[in-house]
This record gives sequence, structure tokens and C-alpha cells, in this order.
Amino acid sequence: MSVSNRSWAILAVIAVLFTLPWWSGDLYKVHLAALICTYWVLISGLNLVVGYSGQLSIGHVGLLAIGAYCFAILAGTYGLHPAVAIAASGTLCALCGLVLGLPSLRLPGFYFAMATLAFALIVTEITLAQGNLTGGGVGLSVPGFPPPFDSPRGSYWLILAIAAVVTWLTWNVARHTWGRGLVAVRDSVVTAQAVGVPVFRAKLTVFVFSGFTAGLAGALFAVLQSYITPDTFVFDLGLFFFVCIIIGGRGHMLGPAIGTIVLTALPEMVAPLAKLGNFFYGLLLLVVVLLVPEGIGHVFQVLIERFRSARGERHGVKPDLERLSKAIQGGRAIK
Amino acid sequence: MLVALITGLATGALYAAAALTYNVMFSTSKVLSVTTGHISMLGGIFGAWFVSTLGWPIALALLGSIGVGAVFGLITDWIAIRRVLARSDEHLWLLSTLALATMVQQAAGLWWGTEPKPFPRLIPQDFSAGLADQKYWLPIVVAIVLAIALELFYRRTLYGKLFVAMSEDAFAARARGIPTGRIRAMSYVIAGAMGGLAGFAAGQLTFAYFALGLTLTLNGFIALAVGGLGSNVGALVGGAALGILSAVATYFVGGEYQQTISVGLLMIVLLLKPAGLFGRQSVRPV
Repeated sequence: MSVSNRSWAILAVIAVLFTLPWWSGDLYKVHLAALICTYWVLISGLNLVVGYSGQLSIGHVGLLAIGAYCFAILAGTYGLHPAVAIAASGTLCALCGLVLGLPSLRLPGFYFAMATLAFALIVTEITLAQGNLTGGGVGLSVPGFPPPFDSPRGSYWLILAIAAVVTWLTWNVARHTWGRGLVAVRDSVVTAQAVGVPVFRAKLTVFVFSGFTAGLAGALFAVLQSYITPDTFVFDLGLFFFVCIIIGGRGHMLGPAIGTIVLTALPEMVAPLAKLGNFFYGLLLLVVVLLVPEGIGHVFQVLIERFRSARGERHGVKPDLERLSKAIQGGRAIK
Repeated sequence: MLVALITGLATGALYAAAALTYNVMFSTSKVLSVTTGHISMLGGIFGAWFVSTLGWPIALALLGSIGVGAVFGLITDWIAIRRVLARSDEHLWLLSTLALATMVQQAAGLWWGTEPKPFPRLIPQDFSAGLADQKYWLPIVVAIVLAIALELFYRRTLYGKLFVAMSEDAFAARARGIPTGRIRAMSYVIAGAMGGLAGFAAGQLTFAYFALGLTLTLNGFIALAVGGLGSNVGALVGGAALGILSAVATYFVGGEYQQTISVGLLMIVLLLKPAGLFGRQSVRPV
């Protein structure tokens, strides 16, 4: 019963998202939805690293930048087919994730966070330095998608489809053995080792996977922006991805999804928040860490559980007094 | 070449000061605070504001910068450390200090502006002094004085010995009747004062710039990790090595790859000697 409920809900969400260009009204909202889906492609992969295995990577914006530049150079400068370029972006970023992860995933928490921060800064430095490849500070213009997807609606559907596939992949990883193993690594490395979780390999695999999704997201992001400079990929963006996951809740899928939607849409809808920018994200992060470290997704879960248990108590068992008294008397009779 | 060396040494001294600030906070709380660089950033910005805008005399502005740093240190302990350490979740402090650092940086950017602004001259000196200019030797002197003062504090005073006791084993220290919470707050105030002083002294080198904090947090951490966590000598050596290496590399290769080279140094040291040059190998906790 609950399974079919869930699949109905998923079908409904897909239907709503698919028909969004018809009922949303203006094209800007379609663009915003496409942006949210792009972010989600990256965040769902990053969620496996940050939320499940507990490795606090704050520098995924570096991988996003590599994916975006790879797409722009291959599809723009060399004129490759965009589909090939997207695949190449994903592969290149997976490789970069491997190169970054091999040394840095061995480091303890704060060291790892600093290594990823340094990685993001290094990528910015190299994009500025390699001017003849990346256009330096001037930037690069990015070609759009080929004909069926060249309109805003078409590109939205393409991005939505990619986001759906990536969500399906990460969901599969998260809810089976891998996800459990990763949570074990997050909560206690020693225990995870003791029960036979290959700690380093598990961390490295999801990190490489998150690199792949970051590369895909980078390519999609570049097309949406249509012109990229090193300033597009400021460190704040990496912080934004990170905050979405922490606020949504570590070890959930739904929480970070809601976090992504709310945090992307909110500054667009409420102008004063856009001006505060990072201050707002920092405040939100601080409040969540101090009040509900498990994230807002956890609050929802607690509420749902409470609702269910309250409903369960309604059909309590009435004691059958007659039978009980007979049993007691019967016991006396034996005595 | 000599210019590159002196500039590198001065920048390295600032990194070393940041590493010392890390050390003081780490000794009592086992927390590596992301706000470390932002303390010095505030010291620089408020120093420039006190002197240039409010027209305070230099000595008063110096005290003011130290005070701002100390207050920020106390606030860090209050908001980001105290409640988080009470929970058992590891690395939650990374999130809370990161959040606080982000807020402070953005607030400084909104209030002060995102452009680097010049820092006033502290000591009357001709601009033609060249390499003997105060902007080079001030941070170096401050870093060395801070390191010596810290060593004296740890070895000669009762409070310093309490710090050492807490860094060895906080639970045992509490069992001995040491008010660990108050000592930790005190260490954050001291760290804040040190950071404020360093930011003020290096102001002419770095300018009063709101984005200095994150760079300094990262580079101070690299200096600390290279020198060895918890070692004050290591902080000085690591800072100087990092500063000189990036300056020399800038001289030969060009300024584009500065960050790449400093991270390369960190990776090499961590691969060869994971505890850093002067650090002690700690036993893996189970």
C-alpha cells in the first residue's frame, strides 16, 4: 500500500515537473527551474559525499568549473557534438575527482575540507592563467544545445531528464548496501572497518561519482549561463551547494532537494535576501547547526513518525476480562 | 630576487601569526576554527577605520584592533564553539565556524566595501626606505614576538600551564578542578587579540581587504600543517617556508600559480611526514 502511495507521489512529481513550462507562465521561471535542476545534478552527487559518507567537501565548485570549461572548449572551440562534450565533461571531472580524492580522502575532516577549498582556488587560478585555452578573465561563450533542445523549454526538458536519471542513480546508491556502508563510515570509521566496509574505497568511489555528476552539472550550467568567466565560479557557489545539503539534512535525499529548491528560488523571489547573499546562507547554516544539526529533513521525518504513531494508538487492544478471570481462577483450581 | 625573498618572508610571517592563532585555539578546544583568518582581517579593517576615518592616534587604534579581535574571539567561542562542543558529533564545529566566518566576511564586505583600501603608515618613515620599509619588518617582528610571548606564557605562568594541561587531556584537567570552559573562552580571547595584532601590523602589506580572511585561513592552515599541529616553532618555520616558497615561485614562474605551489608544498610534506615537520605523531583514537 505504502509502496504504491510512494510511486503515485513520484509519478505526480514527475508530471508536475514535466508540465512546468505550460503552467509556470513566464520563461524566466522555466530558466530558474532549469537552474535548480542543474544544481540538483551536482548536489545529489555531492550529497553522497557530504551527507552520507560525511566528507565535508566545500570545493565542488572547482569540479563544476572544470566541467563547464571542458564543455565550452570542446563544443565551442573544437565544435564537437554537445552530447559528446557533455559526456567528456563528466568523464574528465570523474578523473579530476579521482586525482583529488586519492591523496585528500586519506586526510582527517578539517584537512580534507581545506584540501577541497584549495582545489577550488587552484582551478580558478589555472583558468585565469591558461588564457589561450579558457579565455582567461575575459571568458568564453558557450554554444547551446542542438535543435530539439535549443529553446528554453527544450533545454529545460533535457536538463530535467538528466536530473531524473542522476536522481535515480544516487537513490539506488543511497538506499542499498552502499548507502548503509557510507553512513557507517560517517558515524564511526572504526566500527565501519570492523564490520567489513572498505572505508577508503567506498569514500573514493562516491567521490569519483560526485565528480562525474559535477562535470555533467558544469556542462549544463555553462549552457544555461551561455557565457562563462572565472568569476562565474566563485567560492561562494561551492559554499552554496554545501549549505543546501547541510540545511536539508545529512543522510537524506528529500531534504537536500528541498534545500536546493528553496535556497535557489528564495533570493530570486525576495530581493533583500539577494543583496545579503552569503550572510543569509551563513546565518541559515549557523542556525541549523546550532538548533537542528540533523537538518530540516530530520524534522520532517520526526513529525511524520509522530503522526504515524499517534494514528497507531487509536486501535488499542481491549482486555478480554471474562477470559482473564477464568484463566486466573483456573490457575487457582490447579493449586 | 632579494625583494622577492623579503616580501615572501613578510607574508610568511603573517601566515605564521595565523598558524599561532590556530594553535592557541586548538590547544584548549581541539578545534581548528575557520574564523582564524577573519580575526586578522577584522584587525586590519578596523585598524584602517580607526586611524583613517575616526582619526584616532596609532597607539589607541592598535589597542582598538586588539580589542576587536579579542571580542570576536569571545563571540566565536560563545556562538560557534560552546554549544557545538557540548554535542558529541565530530566536526560539527567545522560547520559552525565556517558559518560564522562566512557571515563576518560578508558583513565586512557590505560595510567596508569589496575593494582593498590603503592602510595608514604606523611609524613615520620615508617611502624611499626600500627593503627596510616598515611594511616588511613589522609583521616579521610581530610574529616572532608573538611566538616568544606564547612560549613564555606556556612555560612561566600558571594559566599557561593550564592551557598545556588542557591540550594534553581536557577530561583529566577537568577532574583536577580546572574550569575548562572558562579557560577555553580565555584562549579564544587571547587568540583573537593575537590575530587582531597581526592583522594590524600586516595592514600595510595586505591592505584593508574583506576577502583576506579566507586566504589567511587557508594559508595559515598550510603553514600550521607543514610545521606541525600544536608546535609554535613549527608555525614560524612553516609560515616562513610557505611565504618564501610562494614568493620565489612567483619570481621564477609568475604569480598565476601561487596557490597551486603552496598546496603542492602541503601535499609533499603531508606525504613524507604526516604530522608535519615539528609535530608529534598522535595515537589513533578508537
